[in-house]
Amino acid sequence: MTSNIVSFALGDRQVEVMVRPMTTLQIALREHLGQTGTKDGCRQGGCGSCTVLLDGEPVLSCLLPIEEVAGRRVDVVETITPPQGLHPLQQAFLDQFATQCGYCTPGMIMLGVGLLAHNPHPSRDEVVEALGGNLCRCTGYEPIVRVLEAAGAAEGIAVGATQPVGEEAAR
Amino acid sequence: MSVTEYFRPASVNEAIELLARHGPDLLVMAGGTIAMPLVNEGISAPERVMSLRAAGLDGLRREPGRIRIGAACPLQGLLELDDVPLLQAAARHTGSWAIRNMGTVGGNLFAPPPAGDVTVALLALDAVLVVAGAGSRREIRLDSFHTGFMTTALGPDELLVEIRIAPPTGATAFHKLGRRQASTPAVVTVAARAIVDGGRVSEARIALGAVGPHPFRARAAEAALTGSRLDTASITRTATAAVDASDPATDGIASEWYRRRMTRLLVERALTDIADRPAGGAA
Repeated sequence: MTSNIVSFALGDRQVEVMVRPMTTLQIALREHLGQTGTKDGCRQGGCGSCTVLLDGEPVLSCLLPIEEVAGRRVDVVETITPPQGLHPLQQAFLDQFATQCGYCTPGMIMLGVGLLAHNPHPSRDEVVEALGGNLCRCTGYEPIVRVLEAAGAAEGIAVGATQPVGEEAAR
Repeated sequence: MSVTEYFRPASVNEAIELLARHGPDLLVMAGGTIAMPLVNEGISAPERVMSLRAAGLDGLRREPGRIRIGAACPLQGLLELDDVPLLQAAARHTGSWAIRNMGTVGGNLFAPPPAGDVTVALLALDAVLVVAGAGSRREIRLDSFHTGFMTTALGPDELLVEIRIAPPTGATAFHKLGRRQASTPAVVTVAARAIVDGGRVSEARIALGAVGPHPFRARAAEAALTGSRLDTASITRTATAAVDASDPATDGIASEWYRRRMTRLLVERALTDIADRPAGGAA
């Protein structure tokens, strides 16, 4: 069976995976790199639970062949989480009950981090539009929309994915 | 069976060579938003796949009198086209932000209905396609590109490389109805453009999506409108002709009956939009 080695930056860390051709980034993350924060929902591009950032842009890891991330930077919910505590957006989700079963949460948070990096002060409409591809079957969306709106209104919460996070930021 | 080779050609020439070498068994893929769900589901099991992401086809270039859109330009790129609100609106109502970052303009031309909303807008803009083969290039008008359900005028050794449009003349309108507001397949998609001259329509485009085997121009509807004033009578007549030209399917999104009803409504809305602001171009 043919396998290829693909290397890319997972947050601030350089990683290599040896996988079969056209393995999706989602499978590589979850099954080869142990990063199970990125969820495995529909595998159809229809639910947004596998949303990650590719060089800061939201993409769906279930539709992305691993070959396309070679040499690029991928951010997932693990890479934005500092060694101690939580990313401000994670904390805001927790504080404001924007998560119930939690399945959509990593995708929502990565979409949110991407949105705030592009648009630090999104309006409610802009939040709703940006979240259009991310399904949540529990919350009715309202708490999630409120968190992102509030994050945009508050200074200092909009930590862009391309800024040093994790160990680098903690030093 | 699983994929044994995944090619990422770095140029159009390299892509065409791979196409010639591997023939129709090669799955050609740009953003993957159509192909990957089928592969993930096991419906499609290609052995060899060619990705066009690195082939230099992702550009969006403005030249005097025309806009050149690379076949692998992400749909999100179309949101920058403030002077082509029809295309901007179609892109905005296609997929989600993440899907638009991945899905491409060229790929949208191959999307099976009810997908293909950007193609509907491109039809109303008289888009011309540039197709490259071994040592040759030719142009195909978008309105003669689709030949049936998931079949096109593209030769087996040819690759779609560019979509060209002129900055639109006349007023335009885009309407799409889905089961929800965003990231949804269409019940019906309508793109309309009309040039109104001395109170009468001198040129009309009515393009429909999700109500036939591929996106198409409802030429009888265009003819019904041309030469008329944009009033209730001509709008009703045009909408009737558009419904007559449609051949919708019943699927998980909508029934044939509902699609016909909504085709009438959305064509009427699009033309009413244009009648309300004949000088403007906003979609």
